[in-house]
Amino acid sequence: MKHLIAIFLVGVPLALSAQNPVIRNQFSADPTARVFNNKVYLYPSHDIKPPVGQRQDWFCMEDYHVFSSENLTDWTDHGMIVTQNKVPWVRPNSYSMWAPDCVYRNGKYYFYFPSSPNAGGGFAVGVAIADSPEGPFIPEPEPIKGINGIDPCVLLASDGNAYIFWGNGRCAKLKDNMKELADDNPKSTVKFGNREMEMIGANCLEGLPNRQAEGPFAFEYNGNYYLTYPYVRENTEVLGYAMSKNPMGPYEYKGLIMAEHANGCWTNHHSIINYKGQWYLFYHHNDFSPSDDKRRSVCIEKLYFNADGTIKEVKPTMRGVGINNATEKIEIDRYSEASSDVTTQLIDTVNTFRSYQAALPKKGSWLRYNDVDFNSLTNDSYVIISVKASGNTAFSIREKSATGKVIAKVSLDNIVPPETPNAPAGGGMMGRFRRDMRGQWLTQTVALDYVPKGVTDLVVTNDGDAEIAVDYVLFKNRPKYFSPSTAAPISPDSEGFIHRWMLLDPINKPNSGNTVFTDSYLRDHFNREYFKGQQTILPKDGQKVQAVFKQEQAPAGFGRGMQQAPAQPEVKTVKQTLTWHALDSENMNVKLFRFAEKYGEQVYGVLFWAVTIIDCPEEIKDVRLAVGSNSASMWWLNGEETLLLSGDRRMVKDDAMSKRITLKKGRNVLRGAIINGPGMSDFCVRFLDEKGNPVTNYTIINNK
Amino acid sequence: MKVLRNILAASTLLVAATASAQSGQPFIHDPSTLAECDGKWYTFGTGGGGIITDDGWNWHSGAERPGGGAAPDMIKIGDRYLCIYGATGGGLGGGHAGRILTMWNKTLDPKSPDFKWSEAVEVCYSDGMEDQDAIDPGVLLDPTTGRLWVSYGTYFGTIRLIELDPATGFRKSGNKEKDIAIDCEASDLIYNDGWYYLLGTHGTCCDGVNSTYNIVVGRSKSPEGPYIDNVGRDMYHGGGKMVIAAGDRKTGAGHFGRTIIDEGVEVMSFHWEADFDMGGRSTLAVRPLLWKNGWPVGGDQLKEGTYEIESERRGYALELAVDFVRMNVARAGGFGGFGGGQQANAAPPQPVAEQKLEDVVSTWPSGNIPARIGDYMFRPHQKWTITAVPEAGGYLSNPYFKITIAGTDRALAATEDVEVTTVPAFTGAPEQLWRIEQLTDGTFRIMPKQIPGKEGTNTKYVLYSAGDSTPTLAEYDFKSDNSKWNFRQH
Repeated sequence: MKHLIAIFLVGVPLALSAQNPVIRNQFSADPTARVFNNKVYLYPSHDIKPPVGQRQDWFCMEDYHVFSSENLTDWTDHGMIVTQNKVPWVRPNSYSMWAPDCVYRNGKYYFYFPSSPNAGGGFAVGVAIADSPEGPFIPEPEPIKGINGIDPCVLLASDGNAYIFWGNGRCAKLKDNMKELADDNPKSTVKFGNREMEMIGANCLEGLPNRQAEGPFAFEYNGNYYLTYPYVRENTEVLGYAMSKNPMGPYEYKGLIMAEHANGCWTNHHSIINYKGQWYLFYHHNDFSPSDDKRRSVCIEKLYFNADGTIKEVKPTMRGVGINNATEKIEIDRYSEASSDVTTQLIDTVNTFRSYQAALPKKGSWLRYNDVDFNSLTNDSYVIISVKASGNTAFSIREKSATGKVIAKVSLDNIVPPETPNAPAGGGMMGRFRRDMRGQWLTQTVALDYVPKGVTDLVVTNDGDAEIAVDYVLFKNRPKYFSPSTAAPISPDSEGFIHRWMLLDPINKPNSGNTVFTDSYLRDHFNREYFKGQQTILPKDGQKVQAVFKQEQAPAGFGRGMQQAPAQPEVKTVKQTLTWHALDSENMNVKLFRFAEKYGEQVYGVLFWAVTIIDCPEEIKDVRLAVGSNSASMWWLNGEETLLLSGDRRMVKDDAMSKRITLKKGRNVLRGAIINGPGMSDFCVRFLDEKGNPVTNYTIINNK
Repeated sequence: MKVLRNILAASTLLVAATASAQSGQPFIHDPSTLAECDGKWYTFGTGGGGIITDDGWNWHSGAERPGGGAAPDMIKIGDRYLCIYGATGGGLGGGHAGRILTMWNKTLDPKSPDFKWSEAVEVCYSDGMEDQDAIDPGVLLDPTTGRLWVSYGTYFGTIRLIELDPATGFRKSGNKEKDIAIDCEASDLIYNDGWYYLLGTHGTCCDGVNSTYNIVVGRSKSPEGPYIDNVGRDMYHGGGKMVIAAGDRKTGAGHFGRTIIDEGVEVMSFHWEADFDMGGRSTLAVRPLLWKNGWPVGGDQLKEGTYEIESERRGYALELAVDFVRMNVARAGGFGGFGGGQQANAAPPQPVAEQKLEDVVSTWPSGNIPARIGDYMFRPHQKWTITAVPEAGGYLSNPYFKITIAGTDRALAATEDVEVTTVPAFTGAPEQLWRIEQLTDGTFRIMPKQIPGKEGTNTKYVLYSAGDSTPTLAEYDFKSDNSKWNFRQH
């Protein structure tokens, strides 16, 4: 049975996952990534919208958060670690908590950050120290003496020293305490207009392309030191780099890591790490604030070296890095590749964290999203996709290419409303709920035609005549309700519930609601013969029976009392070929609704027959049959009527009890008939002793 | 005077119908928990709108909620109202795929310039494939932790629990759904005295006079369950203890909401699927909510009739301060009639007639007579007739009542010096109108609508035992039995 359900849906970011940008519920900039304890920790700046009284078109940052991930797709926000008004040396409400860094040395985590000091005079750099990469970080009361500038980066070099880089490429050695500059750093006198200042450390970018250079990030690889940094090549920043054999230079300029952002975002700022053998570039871009490039978001790409140690230029992508688990929300609008007519735009230009949508304008338009892991999907799974359409249309989710194997086909047949909205199109009640769905976000749920294996690429193709836009996709496994009965006898569960039943495909038994199931109705209808041997059969799995019976036709439109009293029903003779299934229920309640969904012609207006064989090692006296059923049911033990539950019932544990009965030594046959109109049919059955304790000292046989 | 009497007599006839239901146009299905805004109460139902009452008793249409869908709930958080509702789902217009949304407003008054709903945001959904149906949310702001919980779902699968951020109304980041019950719908969560309670609606919905809808409850020490009923059965296995079901010519109680009016004064709002006195329509009900042995119990509507008004303090009865008139009935059987066998040959005992109003009324002064509290002897000066005065309006759960000596027009009244007296005839004056509310322990508080010389409607002073024998008006205090009374018919 294939459901196709259309509802509106607007995504709310609940978890941070995958794709660029990687932090999707807040701004994040100037990313410094570090690997601690086999996890990636991300220490970005935290852009915010400036509060009233602050300059509205400038950078505004009041605190820092730290994030971590083990797979670069799922990021956990560990919350705020350092905030401007709790650092003694920082000028209150200066909103200048700019690009930070964090390193691990001698059992402690040292978090370096620039800000505007109380004392005035540009920027200083302070340290906060923690025992864990997630904090709590305790800020030192004073900034580091001798550093006047922004954007600290600390290099733990293989020569055993720690070097701090900052500003436009200046570098100085740190003392072992990591809180002070070493005494043997070079010093120089620099003129700023009429003022002369003593500057500590080496200017590593002297003579290199260094216009408005900032945000230095230094690392060591294969015997080379790399000093990487944003600078302005023409009008906005690029990421460039230089190499040296010594941490403090001299450095030789080697070229670009990333060119200017195509949309004019003025800044870029970055870090580079090796995680599990792969190099990654962390950088930022203003995806969630396209009209204001002071609010930025962290992105990640893979980074590769040439044989000579130089770095290959990196192109920014929407897809970013990492493998998405198919059961996570995947923002497919951040595609890897698409037909040339596909465009992306923000879903909501005010609440930009709703992220992006990708429009596939016409039949044949496609997009591909790489690297989705299907390993956790079973064969009984379905897809949820958030989509909107300009009219009735259809699209497919495929594997690998625009002509690849179809994973799911989605028809959007109800986008355009009936011409007269008040007409009972689609039938009565339903018709009244039909609305104009054009341009509305809908969640489509559809069972999979094919379940890919392993890690593969997803492709969405527009197969119809209207434009569609997609937001996200998510795969789910259906719950397991039954498994085939095993050959060996089983016991009831610890609460005494019987999980093993022979269930017959449902008999179609339309009715106008469940309140018609009076005692007389049930005795009448359950004692009618639907198939031969109804009260004596000990069926085997797969055994078929021919049902021939008179069926009273209920008015169309079940449920919720739409019909108070059916008129004199029309009676038809119906023939159904029905199959018995030997099943073990996964739950204490046997979900007949799901059984009917799988095996039946209909799920509502049905009559089920159930049989189970109980094997008692000895006679068990004075027990009661305890049943809950949705809806009415009748039960026979060894051919004797034992219990009747009439009316519109829910499945309630121990709803009704038989009188005291005896389970005889050897085989006992328990037979039940359950009838249901609207609603989810199920039942639970157990035996209880005189004190209300479950009876469990018997087994249930599979009648193979 | 005569004219007034006739009006009163006519309105008394109406009372039989109106005193047992919310007055006016209380027509609603799936009412949200009552929300107060600028002195008015609002409740919102399935569809678009809702109903409003200025006084708590007379309801009229006019509340507005965009978004359509089903079964909203409403809660005031800080100075804003959070509305949570289900769009589609419930088997309507697309099966059991549903979504639940939240939105804010500064006011519930559509005429206010501040009336503007924020854009609705989704907090959860059911995908149509699961045993789940994301409609019917009920919300609880946990008074002990400040956390905001939502239960939702229908018979189609489970009742689920999620957590929202009370600052934003968004889903709390990283929160995962938890299944806490099956086989009910229209659920709600409440907290009382260390326990969390999950209320669900069981039975048949939407079948008019045949609806068996009823409200059941389980409780837990944690908002995340398990919710266990009074016989130890988990609501996840269908358990539940009855809170309210059909009665008083109404069937199908559904969609519980709790409103705390004062310490020890609570009401529950819900709908009747069919009110037999309102043409079988679905109406709003507001009933006292009682707490008995740690369980919520639906109280009855106070019925008109003649009662002893018994003080919870001493057990004495409210009475007129008039002379005690002895009954001249000879003591039968000598001194005390004790002793085995003494009366063996006497005539069989004959019933003794009770003292009648006409036996004593001539001994009463004609002007105001103060009230007193004394031993209950079922005498005329101790029998009070409670009659609704519907044209005087009401409060949550009841209309105002007059309290008169049975068979007379002599009415209990508040005085300017904050004492209590009786006036020879009921005039409809606000100090002669009484607000009677059943408290959570089953007793009642009795409160004059107005105290002469004091501005506005009284919400502070109640009929109060100053001494065992002395009634007065004093500030309501749930912790004191002096504030409490019982209406007894015996």
